[in-house]
Amino acid sequence: MAINLTRRNFLKTASIAAAGIPLSKVVAKAETGIAKAPLIPPGSFKDTKTVTGGICEMCFWRCQLVGKVRGDRLVKLEGNPKSIDNGQNLCARGNSGIKLVYDPDRLKYPMKNIGKRGAPKWQKISWDEALNICADKLQATIDKYGPKGIAVWYHGASSHYPNAYFDYLGVPNKYEPAFYQCRGQTAMAMMQTLGFVTNEDVDMPNSKAMLLVGCHIGENIHLSHVKNFLKGLENGSKVVVVDPRFSAAAAKAHIWVQIKPGTDTAFLLGLMNYMFDKGIYNKPFAEKYCLGLNRLKKHVAEWTIEKTATECDIPAKQIVEVAELLAKNAPNVSIHPGRHAAWYGNDFQRVRANACLTALLGAMDCPGGIVRIKRMSSGHVHWPEVDHKEDPEEMALAEYEEKYPFRPPGTPPELMRDTMISGKPYPIKSLIVWGTNSIKTMPRQERTEKALANMDFILVTDVTPTDITMWADILLPEASYLERYDHIEKGTQWNQGDKPQQFLSARMPLIDPMFERKDPVWMINELARRMGHGKDIPVKNQEEFVNHLLKETGLTIAKLRKLDGIYIQPGESPYLKKGEEPVFETDSGKIELYSEAMEDEDFPPLPTYTKTAEPPKGFARMIYGRSPVHTFNRTANNAWLVREIPENPLWINDESAKKMGLKDGDRVFLENQDGKKSVSSTVVKTTPGIRKDCVFIAHGFGTFNPAMTVGYHKGIDDNELNTKINREGETGISGMRINFVRVVKDGKVIDIPA
Amino acid sequence: MQYGMIINLDRCVGCHACAVACRAEWEVPVEFARNWVHRLGPANTPHGLAATYYPGLCNHCTHPACVEVCPADTEMVTFKDAKSGKTKTMEVAATWKDPFNGTVQIDKKRCIGCGACVDACPYGARYVNPDLADDDSDGKADKCTYCMPRVEAGLQPACVQTCLAEARIFGDLDDPDSEVSKYVKKGAVGLTSKNVQIGPNSRYFGNKKDMALLMTQAPQEMPEANSRRAMLAGLIKPARHQAKSLALAGIAGTLLVKSIQEKEKE
Repeated sequence: MAINLTRRNFLKTASIAAAGIPLSKVVAKAETGIAKAPLIPPGSFKDTKTVTGGICEMCFWRCQLVGKVRGDRLVKLEGNPKSIDNGQNLCARGNSGIKLVYDPDRLKYPMKNIGKRGAPKWQKISWDEALNICADKLQATIDKYGPKGIAVWYHGASSHYPNAYFDYLGVPNKYEPAFYQCRGQTAMAMMQTLGFVTNEDVDMPNSKAMLLVGCHIGENIHLSHVKNFLKGLENGSKVVVVDPRFSAAAAKAHIWVQIKPGTDTAFLLGLMNYMFDKGIYNKPFAEKYCLGLNRLKKHVAEWTIEKTATECDIPAKQIVEVAELLAKNAPNVSIHPGRHAAWYGNDFQRVRANACLTALLGAMDCPGGIVRIKRMSSGHVHWPEVDHKEDPEEMALAEYEEKYPFRPPGTPPELMRDTMISGKPYPIKSLIVWGTNSIKTMPRQERTEKALANMDFILVTDVTPTDITMWADILLPEASYLERYDHIEKGTQWNQGDKPQQFLSARMPLIDPMFERKDPVWMINELARRMGHGKDIPVKNQEEFVNHLLKETGLTIAKLRKLDGIYIQPGESPYLKKGEEPVFETDSGKIELYSEAMEDEDFPPLPTYTKTAEPPKGFARMIYGRSPVHTFNRTANNAWLVREIPENPLWINDESAKKMGLKDGDRVFLENQDGKKSVSSTVVKTTPGIRKDCVFIAHGFGTFNPAMTVGYHKGIDDNELNTKINREGETGISGMRINFVRVVKDGKVIDIPA
Repeated sequence: MQYGMIINLDRCVGCHACAVACRAEWEVPVEFARNWVHRLGPANTPHGLAATYYPGLCNHCTHPACVEVCPADTEMVTFKDAKSGKTKTMEVAATWKDPFNGTVQIDKKRCIGCGACVDACPYGARYVNPDLADDDSDGKADKCTYCMPRVEAGLQPACVQTCLAEARIFGDLDDPDSEVSKYVKKGAVGLTSKNVQIGPNSRYFGNKKDMALLMTQAPQEMPEANSRRAMLAGLIKPARHQAKSLALAGIAGTLLVKSIQEKEKE
């Protein structure tokens, strides 16, 4: 028993001893003589000021938010009460933004790699030194190879101003994963067929039925989009989800079509054939506005209910049920265009089939259908026009090699990477990576690493030390989306059935950046000065940049501040008025079920199904998707989000798992068809909610960079197992769901039974 | 008045925003949670294949197991009804059930951080937060307060405000016209089982298959520690009062510690 006990301490000792707290600790504390009071958090609403003008970029849906700031510290983020889009709501990621801002692993200073690429040793350097090196190296590349010697990989709002400068430099090859590993086909095939990019502007709240093909709303949380989906459910819309997996959306669906992976196009063709056969499609609409109706009818005739059922491995009666449901409720049906489409390498054709089905139902410009949402417009910043010796548009690799005529903006990444490795048709020797983790986005990592090794110079700019930063020569720390001005967000009230309104908001910082983090306008202007382009700088700073973008709206940063960050004006309904004719900006002015342009380029002019390879014996197809609290790998180091979902459980059919001797929570690695084994592991989740021929993991896990201390090696990186790709001729986009895996547990390889 | 919360699983999409907004609002250390989302399924239920979520929080039970076990010194505390202005004075330890709004609260100043209440809760709704340690403790018991400080300031609970699905509804279960009461009439239920019937006031509504899956999460037994802690608490309280009044703390304390330590060994 310790001595020197006062009565008070002794009483306390007695009670604490009862609670099993070590006595020694208590006594030692009491002896310090310093009275400690509990630090009880007062709540974000006490003694804080509300700062408006935030626009989220934890994902790219960009909800409008406000910050609660105590002193100079951001304590909480909330939806902007004035928002007609997300309102006061934010998702888990939106709420976790402050953990990104204050992440101790964040990049703080400009750094120079004095180690090796991929195994860096960092030396803190000044901005002046960093920018001088960048200017010298980029200029050396331009002097030797021309601007085509530089490649740019980018993503996110912070890359807008830099891209304008790279255009001015004449850089022909740029790539954004948002198109080439995500929604490129969705945009381009819709445009080719309907004459406009649909985005995901589909009027679910006012639909009577919805069809989601491989689209997992609920795991993919885009806030107002999820609100639209739920409103549709609330209003009694019947939901059909087509997915090999019982996804979050499937769990809320009325009909779950547990389709065999890769056969979605056949399913869509089967639906159309049934509608033609029974004459239940929207004839007045289709006959008036579609080109190639009879040719499509003949083309899909082979897809009988029986053949479709066999190909898709689903009950025949389910196809009938879905077709009848959609036809009965046409045109007020939401045929969701989908988002991520880079699945099998035959995806342009699948999205075309989706567009054709939409057209057959006339599900456009009306309640429940695809709608053309009328948003305000804002401007762009351009550097002065320069005559380049080589026209950047002609030098862009796909154009130069006359490939991929229906590609989205930019150069197909694997084409660029091939050139970086081979030097053909011309050398690319410098790489700028702005805000994208290409290690996790581009399939075939070994090729990416080879390309990186071949560069004379690599500049990477980011907020956190993502995997790709390990390959940087110079690494620049960027202010986060809560610490800078840039993006202009435009939209409408979230439910198109409500009173039409339009809003516009500009991103304004909620707090100042800490350490030596800088905004991209400052970085690019300083770089431009050092490259001798000071006189051509179009805007002096980030505030001027945003005011310039706002010019045509008559708004300014100052005006928006007075409006609590959001300007709202009356809008226009996206539904056609009585007697109003729809406009289709295709070559023919009609919806092109049959596309002459595609025929001219030697692609199937009618949506065509191509079989995808089957899994080899012992393997299952690896399908990947979203985790509801993560945005790819961008949130991998966010302590709050990792707390919610730390890794990506491997979904495996429960009967298969039983045969394999696997149970929930078992720790496993994956090995693919090429013998590539995952670097890190994950846990098993056995479920009847997935087919036996595939397994599922969420994308974006298994961070390689140890500098990401929270996310390092958590879960499995699906992308490292994407060693095989199928590059599609129409777009140059690579399908990735053609990789197959089996399980490795305790060092033993376990086959997955068919 | 009895505050309660409804969670509508037909609407919940499992986005975890509630859990994170709560963490931000109350600076909850990452090792703990006042508000959580467990992802359930896909699994077979008697009503078909289901996948849903268990968004959990303190149930502010009608018969809370956590209150009685608190061994902290009791005090006479006067409670006030926010609406009527009526007051009521009760002798309470460091945690109690509010006689007017029905919420279960903790006085962090008097909490000794022993964790008895943590052990007593069959829902795992409480934790001891070491960040709140002071001279008298290694931490303080903490949990969901139904955001009473926010509610008193005229705001919604943080989890309710951020919920994009409008799946969470907060209100007075004693008011038959409140939205929460309407959900109870429609069949919203708490997570109870044969042996765990302490009147949870956070309740769930959903279709049959989702509710069947959710109910697999209901605790089946009251925590074992509960009875032991309750006994210790019962023992320590009168002993301490006596010690104080007789100014024989030293002797009483020694005996007490000894007897408790022996009991702990058993």
